[in-house]
Amino acid sequence: MAEQKPSLPVVENFSRRAAVKGAFATLGAGAFVAAVSPLRQAAKNSTAAEFMQQHYQELTAEQKAEVIARLEEEAKENYGVDVQIADDRPIPNTKFVYAINLSVCNGNGKCVEACHKENNHDRDTNQSYIRVLEMPKGTMDMEQGSTTYSGAVPKDDKFYLPVQCQQCDEPPCVDVCPVKATWKEEDGIVVVDYNWCIGCRYCEAACPYHARRFNWKQPTVPPEDVNPDQSYLSNRIRPVGVVEKCTFCLHRTRRGKLPACLEACPTGARVFGNILDPDSSIRWILNHKRVYILKEELGTKPAFFYYFD
Amino acid sequence: MKKLKLRITNLVFATTVFLVVIMTFGLYLKRAERGNPHHDRADVRGLLQVANDDKVESDDKAFAVVVHRPAGPPRVALAGVDPQGRRGEVACSTCHSVRKANLENKTTDTLNEFHEGLVVNHGKLACYACHNPDDSDSLRLADGTNVAYQDVMTLCSQCHGQQATAFAHGAHGGMNGHWDLTRGPQMKNNCVDCHDPHSPSFPSMIVDFKPKDRFNAPAEHDQEGQ
Amino acid sequence: MSSLTATPSENESHITSYPKFVGRSLWLATEGSLAFYAWMTMLTAVFLVGANAWANQVAGGMIGTNMTDQVSWGLYIANFTFMVGLAAGGVMMVIPAYLYHDRKMHDVVIIGELLAIAAIVMCLMFVVADLGRPDRFWHLLPLIGKFNFPISMLTWDVIVLNGYLLLNLHICGYLLYMRFLGRKPNPTWYIPFVMLSIVWAISIHTITAFLYCGLGGRPFWNTALLAPRFLASAFVSGPAFIIVAMVFIKRITGVGGLDQPIATLTKIIRVTILINLLMVASELFTEFYTGGSHASAAKYLFFGLHGKTALVPWTWTAIGLNLTAAALFLWPGLLAFRWRPLLVAACCMAFVGAWIEKGMGLIIPGFVPSTLHEIVEYVPSQLEWKVTVGIWAFGLMVFTIAIKTALPTLKNPAKY
Repeated sequence: MAEQKPSLPVVENFSRRAAVKGAFATLGAGAFVAAVSPLRQAAKNSTAAEFMQQHYQELTAEQKAEVIARLEEEAKENYGVDVQIADDRPIPNTKFVYAINLSVCNGNGKCVEACHKENNHDRDTNQSYIRVLEMPKGTMDMEQGSTTYSGAVPKDDKFYLPVQCQQCDEPPCVDVCPVKATWKEEDGIVVVDYNWCIGCRYCEAACPYHARRFNWKQPTVPPEDVNPDQSYLSNRIRPVGVVEKCTFCLHRTRRGKLPACLEACPTGARVFGNILDPDSSIRWILNHKRVYILKEELGTKPAFFYYFD
Repeated sequence: MKKLKLRITNLVFATTVFLVVIMTFGLYLKRAERGNPHHDRADVRGLLQVANDDKVESDDKAFAVVVHRPAGPPRVALAGVDPQGRRGEVACSTCHSVRKANLENKTTDTLNEFHEGLVVNHGKLACYACHNPDDSDSLRLADGTNVAYQDVMTLCSQCHGQQATAFAHGAHGGMNGHWDLTRGPQMKNNCVDCHDPHSPSFPSMIVDFKPKDRFNAPAEHDQEGQ
Repeated sequence: MSSLTATPSENESHITSYPKFVGRSLWLATEGSLAFYAWMTMLTAVFLVGANAWANQVAGGMIGTNMTDQVSWGLYIANFTFMVGLAAGGVMMVIPAYLYHDRKMHDVVIIGELLAIAAIVMCLMFVVADLGRPDRFWHLLPLIGKFNFPISMLTWDVIVLNGYLLLNLHICGYLLYMRFLGRKPNPTWYIPFVMLSIVWAISIHTITAFLYCGLGGRPFWNTALLAPRFLASAFVSGPAFIIVAMVFIKRITGVGGLDQPIATLTKIIRVTILINLLMVASELFTEFYTGGSHASAAKYLFFGLHGKTALVPWTWTAIGLNLTAAALFLWPGLLAFRWRPLLVAACCMAFVGAWIEKGMGLIIPGFVPSTLHEIVEYVPSQLEWKVTVGIWAFGLMVFTIAIKTALPTLKNPAKY
């Protein structure tokens, strides 16, 4: 092996050189530790139990109870409220479907607000799972729409198109998730395990409906505003750095109640129900009304329909 | 080294085969996943075609759909106060039992006294298309049948049959409470809860809640509504 | 470095000689002139700035970046995509060396393989930087986590990228170790891996393209041409980087025998840069001739949409750089020795052009307009630039150290 030791002017002998190299390596390592010291603060906020927690679907009943107790404790600690986190499971023989009457919706945004409050969204950003597009009459091209409209509604030449998670039967977001942190449950709701998501946001890129939200920061909710009626897969306050989405308010709907956005709608444009029940409103609408499916050509098979009078 | 001599064509071929095999494998597994009963992706469209074949037992629905009803015939507030200083309220019949209905009133222009200033914007309907000239504390259908104020929806349904049908199927008017009637009741609005019978078109509203996006300022052309 | 694969030697077992080899490499890698130490100190400093920015990002949440729910991937994923290309581009040295038995290329092919290692390390760092919850990285590991294979293209990418890293570590490590032992490398222990790495290099970039082009909701990405385009631009940026690296290696260390490989790579770029331009042109023709909302991302990228024009300067810079570089590469005189600075300039232009085209010019417009056709613009935040530059510095450190380790081999190519 060819060896021509390049020499430094000052340090010539081997052991001294090694010592200097070692010193520089130590200095470098020390500087690195100092540079990443903000991580220590982040580590303080997470517990070993949280770090080690298994995927939701792998948890036994006791483990789930432990996890939920821990989460309730954390909510108390971080938000100063006593919350009840349930583990609502799908009702057998139920598949949820949503419909919105576009002839009636006037874009008032009460659903957006109700979602914000019901689901313990970040108060600073007015986060919500619903966005409403104001569209000129005579087109279905979203390119012409605007989500930043304001003032008095409805405007004469406009109609309004609320968009939220379509709970697709072929959800691209579920397919792309590398860690199976999001999946479709038996009642059709696509859920996220907020304690398993790694925050890669591939699902956000894959969703054609802008249904997913990322927690860019820890959500802030004043204690008096926290909705204490929560569910593990639904509206419990989300940790920072994970993706969340509309769950059709499963903490309500899996207990037989209607979703918050529907109850808040003053125009009665929203209809929700179980498609497996032949007497359900939703079934009647799909059989009797003209129905529009958002981006149907993408083959996502939404469980969400827009209809007209 | 000699025996390992490869040509570029062989390499391209190998690459293609490699990719085709992995993609086929991937697609196969994806299909297999779809067929898995754990991933129950019931197709809504398939259900619609058999809509009338499978009847879910509806007898076990313990709770009802409750439609809100108005309290009763309207009462008219009196302008003055009685000697005890109380404000008074009277039924329509208080006056109209003695004052005959004026069937000539077709627009609000000729209205006076208690009815002055009433805004009516409900097609070409005259007052007595809905109000009952013979019994001012009730309403009247087109065929002359008496209808109590509480049952005003029957009256509305004469013309607004489509809406009535949609309402009956939950597709108009909104609701509160439960979608699942085995677990709790469902409350629905009455026509007149949302629509003023004299000017029924739904009022315009102000949008007061908007998400605050960091980099999504309202565009220029959206400001016209303000 | 690499796993131990050779048969035990007569005199000494690998258990003792391998650690010696690693120690020797480490010693060699940290030896150098004052300029070398200055270079490494500068890279370390920049890397530390990046590490600090990343730590702040993890502690404070990704609100420190300028990414939004509309533009949910930014500078990190843009660089990740480019880096995969750089890693795959190294194969353009391997193909002439091993498939066409280019003797001169064979002597220096290790540069390409070492570049692949450094680039893949950077790829993995960019992915980690983009994660909202890097503490949950273990969820991605097969067996102990939950690996959504084969449905999620990202799991494919994890496999192929790590596989490519291991392949190249093995090849380089094995060759250097044999060199250290003073033995002739046994072809059975590395030639099959070299052949595999050629196919594998194509697969890493194809699968990275599939990450994007498989998404039906993003019309700008949803094109079958994406994977070929990725490969074409990778075969521009990879060789361009290697040419510049070789020019510098020659200048600084006096390693000989690099001129012919430089010429070969220049000829390769001459072709690939044109193929890349052709693909970009046919993509643009399809977009603009068809029109409609499918083309709105392209309109935004090239001309701006509704008065929003953040990406327009980027993309025209890229087009300008690519066209200039293509013109320079087509000029036969570029290979003349006295035009070396111009060659380096042309390579830099091609490199930066490909970086913009694949990063800011491809990842960002995929999100603008958003799926609800909102136009939310994205300009990287200071924090994102710090982290990005830090990762680049780390990658260059890895590459420098790797080249240092391989210098004896490069200076005295084996005679067999």
